Amino acid sequence: MTPVQLAELLLFPGLTFFVWLAFLFEWLERKTAARMQGRLGPVVAGPFGILQPVADFFKLASKEEIVPSESDPFVLRWGPALYFAAPAIGIAFIPVLGYQSVLYHPLDLLFMFFVLGFSTLMAGLLGYASAGRYATIAMGRLVVQYTSYEVPLLISMVTPAVLAGSLSLQGVAQAQAPLWYIFLAPMAFAVFILASLAELEKPPFDIPSASTEIVGGWMTEFSGNALAYVKLTKNLSYVFLSALAVTLFLGGAGGPVLTADSDVQALAYVCYFLLKLFAVGFLIFAIKTGLARVRIDQAAKVFWTVVTPLSLAQLALVILLR
Amino acid sequence: MASFRSGLTQWARKRSIWVFHVNAASCNGCDIEILAALTPRYDAERLGVELVPSPRHADVLLVTGTLNPLMRDRLKTVYEQMPEPRHVVAIGACALGGGVMKDCYNVGHGIDAAVPVDLYIPGCPPRPEAIIFGILKLVTGTPDPVMAGEAHVG
Repeated sequence: MTPVQLAELLLFPGLTFFVWLAFLFEWLERKTAARMQGRLGPVVAGPFGILQPVADFFKLASKEEIVPSESDPFVLRWGPALYFAAPAIGIAFIPVLGYQSVLYHPLDLLFMFFVLGFSTLMAGLLGYASAGRYATIAMGRLVVQYTSYEVPLLISMVTPAVLAGSLSLQGVAQAQAPLWYIFLAPMAFAVFILASLAELEKPPFDIPSASTEIVGGWMTEFSGNALAYVKLTKNLSYVFLSALAVTLFLGGAGGPVLTADSDVQALAYVCYFLLKLFAVGFLIFAIKTGLARVRIDQAAKVFWTVVTPLSLAQLALVILLR
Repeated sequence: MASFRSGLTQWARKRSIWVFHVNAASCNGCDIEILAALTPRYDAERLGVELVPSPRHADVLLVTGTLNPLMRDRLKTVYEQMPEPRHVVAIGACALGGGVMKDCYNVGHGIDAAVPVDLYIPGCPPRPEAIIFGILKLVTGTPDPVMAGEAHVG
């Protein structure tokens, strides 16, 4: 790996870029929720409170880390790092500078399936290893929810791949240059957003982290540095899933070519990408703030009886009309 | 580098204050005022104050009520679950010294009999401004009284 590739992987458009986007997303989420509720939201940390998630992160990182006596200290020590690694690897495959991603493989869409599954597995493992009563209940709910939303999520991700005839994110993004797949497969996009809400544990599917029912969900026993990284990972997953939605349904970073200068054009591509990313983000914020939580059996029922058939119908439609 | 890190930590601690609320046999008057401080009218989230569901996430423990014998050990347990650095704020006359119920058979003389208290906010109940101002004074040292007032949504 050359130094330039390493810099792309770690700085821009790789890890550092997306971690700051994750902080920005949490700030936007809190501000949007506050404005929808007639509040101001964070204002003191930095201009317009934009550094509030950063302050939260460094405050948590500087606090004492308590390891409960019944827990598994090895998993509690290294689990958050692995949990963080899942979306941190995933974002490297997202094409940001035009149709070029930092890491590439002809079958990298399949790797995204693994990343999404691994992230949920680590969440469940972390909750189970912390040995709290509420964390154990939350882990059970997480597994039930996972078995419900994973099938439609994967089917909705396969649909654009069938349309594009490619199993790489770059290929899918490139194939959308004439027409975005949100117009060709709108139901798949809707299913993807719904399943993303479940994957991110956001309302109406925040059942595994329902703070009015089971305290902090599977994060109940976490404190200090581990909690800081778990919270950061949740925000990074937020950005990662929004970026996947942009890549699979909204044409990736593609857009009008403005100049012949490739450097300036790369900047334009990054702007297109960010605009689409924030559009998807705001869609999720609005759904999340506006809806109340459903019960776990209702979530399972909705996903198995409505969302999964819908995603299968969309896939069949796409294969027939292709 | 070390001074940068400690500066960053101090900056972060002053702007991110996560509170956990324990009702130690309170009449709910003070709890309603805490709710008022957290909900849109006063919106303590402006200042980075957030109500967290687990004591393991919290920086500041807000305690209301007379602390009867049933609650004493439970309050201690909650306090011991909090990671350092941690602070305890006693809110309302009952938490300070028993309040109007002072000489009843099952009423203690303030919560500082069970846990070390960093800040006392008197009142029966104290106003939301007083609660926000108190928390800010505890964490930042020099709070802006205007910021502790009502939020004005433009």
